[in-house]
Amino acid sequence: MSKESLDNIDAKLSEMLTNSMHIYDVSMNCLLGDTNLDTVRDDLYATDKAINELHREVRREMIVHSAVNSRNLDIPLLLSYMTMSKDIERIGDYCKNLFEIAETGNTFTKGENLDSYIELRNDIGKLIVYLQSCLNLEDETKIHDLITLGSSMSTDLDDKITALLENKETIEYPVSTTLFYRYLKRIVSHIVNASTALIMPTDQIDYLDE
Amino acid sequence: MNLKSLKNLSFAIFFLYFFLVSIKLLEKGIKTLGAEYTDQLFESVSNPFAGLLVGILCTVLVQSSSVTTATIVGLVGSGVLSLEYAIPMVMGANIGTTVTNTLVSFGHVRREQEFKRAFAASTMHDFFNLIVVILLFPLDLYTGFITKLAEDGTEFILATGFTATKPNSPIKAGIKWGSNNILDGLSSIPYVNNLSENSYRVYAVLLIVVAIGFIFLSLRNVVSNMKSLMLNQIEFGLDKALAKGGGLFAILIGILITFSVQSSSITTSILVPIVGSGILSIENAFPITLGANIGTTITAVLASFAVDDPAGLTIALHHVFFNLMGVAIIYPFKAIRNIPVNLAKSLSNITAKRRYIAILYVLITFLLLPLLGVVLFN
Repeated sequence: MSKESLDNIDAKLSEMLTNSMHIYDVSMNCLLGDTNLDTVRDDLYATDKAINELHREVRREMIVHSAVNSRNLDIPLLLSYMTMSKDIERIGDYCKNLFEIAETGNTFTKGENLDSYIELRNDIGKLIVYLQSCLNLEDETKIHDLITLGSSMSTDLDDKITALLENKETIEYPVSTTLFYRYLKRIVSHIVNASTALIMPTDQIDYLDE
Repeated sequence: MNLKSLKNLSFAIFFLYFFLVSIKLLEKGIKTLGAEYTDQLFESVSNPFAGLLVGILCTVLVQSSSVTTATIVGLVGSGVLSLEYAIPMVMGANIGTTVTNTLVSFGHVRREQEFKRAFAASTMHDFFNLIVVILLFPLDLYTGFITKLAEDGTEFILATGFTATKPNSPIKAGIKWGSNNILDGLSSIPYVNNLSENSYRVYAVLLIVVAIGFIFLSLRNVVSNMKSLMLNQIEFGLDKALAKGGGLFAILIGILITFSVQSSSITTSILVPIVGSGILSIENAFPITLGANIGTTITAVLASFAVDDPAGLTIALHHVFFNLMGVAIIYPFKAIRNIPVNLAKSLSNITAKRRYIAILYVLITFLLLPLLGVVLFN
């Protein structure tokens, strides 16, 4: 696969992540801050549509690339781009789901857990930015760090969900909070999956635990 | 430019030169054979319809219209094949070249919807060329208007003093130098030398076979090296064409890709999986195919630089004007433009359900009918 083709797809994935970061910030600010939902709704849905369109563009470019380079195809690389773009696209979808929690009126702005939510927001935000910086594959150790960090956050979020399901915590919006953690966990998982696509053998992408 | 690109460019230029030298060798072989024999040889194409079908058959067999048209230019340039006989053969080459992408579409045969799109994408080129030949072939046969236009074009280019067309041009001198060296090299082989002195007809046939082999080899290498060199640009062009949809821009993309790789089959075959996957509509792929039909004519023009007789340039220009007119007639009006596209879609609807019909279509259209026609017309 030529460097130009790679750069082009990398640029599109990076743009998808920039949009994901934006939609993530908007959704989290709606849940944890005092953002007026009406002022951001159109922008949020438009950004999600832009992510979807970029996802389709990546697919189209891969088909064109395969047709033009039919004799020298790097199939594992194309497959990893395919899964990576899908994972990044899903981040946008879960951010939209977070916004939909805010739409129900169940915001977490006043609860005693606000500080931990804000900390969680910042950590996951950093993870998205981190993934973006790993796309050029210049430093594999960075990707391993990202996978380790993401996996650990994912486990923490799972523990929080389990605690809520077992009624170990008493909170104001238990369903919304469970969903909130669940969506954040999915976002982290898709970041980790996208990272595995960068370095893992094709058959092991997405299957970090096995 | 990196080392690999430099290597591809150097090889492409070398093989382009070798291609022109091969045309010159063909001219030499034909002249050595003598008018008496060549007249007999080309008697079979004295019927224009037979010439058309021979053009289809030859192109199907060598899987390259460029080889057919370049050989025809060489034959016309050497004065043994008249324009009258050559024109239908070039038109036949236009039809014959469409078999390549039709064969590519068979790669999608396992998935019905994908095959339907891929087969339609390939056969719209067949229908376009068939329609253009049906329209323009009889018209040109009886009025000779494209031939007149090509002759006027030749006169105009010769009058401008364009270097490549001058008998003593450095390009022609360079080609002559190359062909003389190959002839000297062949003569240094005792058996060949003996043939050239004692059995000039066998020697001539040997030269013709070697020349056609060299044309095939050199064009193949020009195409593969130019394709490697232009991969990114092709990809970029197709991405842009996808983003913009069809239209004149797509025709331009088709011309540029084909011009740069010297093969319409490369362009049209790349389109087949793209349309098959559904990311490019058949309607939007059509103008790229039309562009490929125009872009492919440059090979014959290049070949004409190698021959001495201006008739070589005339047949090359006839190919250019014929293909340009085909696009000018079919493309501007939606109702007309849709005819080849809809015919291809209708055929692909049938072949998607009964895939053996696709195989029958290829065998009958590109092999049986031309063979039968050649026999009947002679």
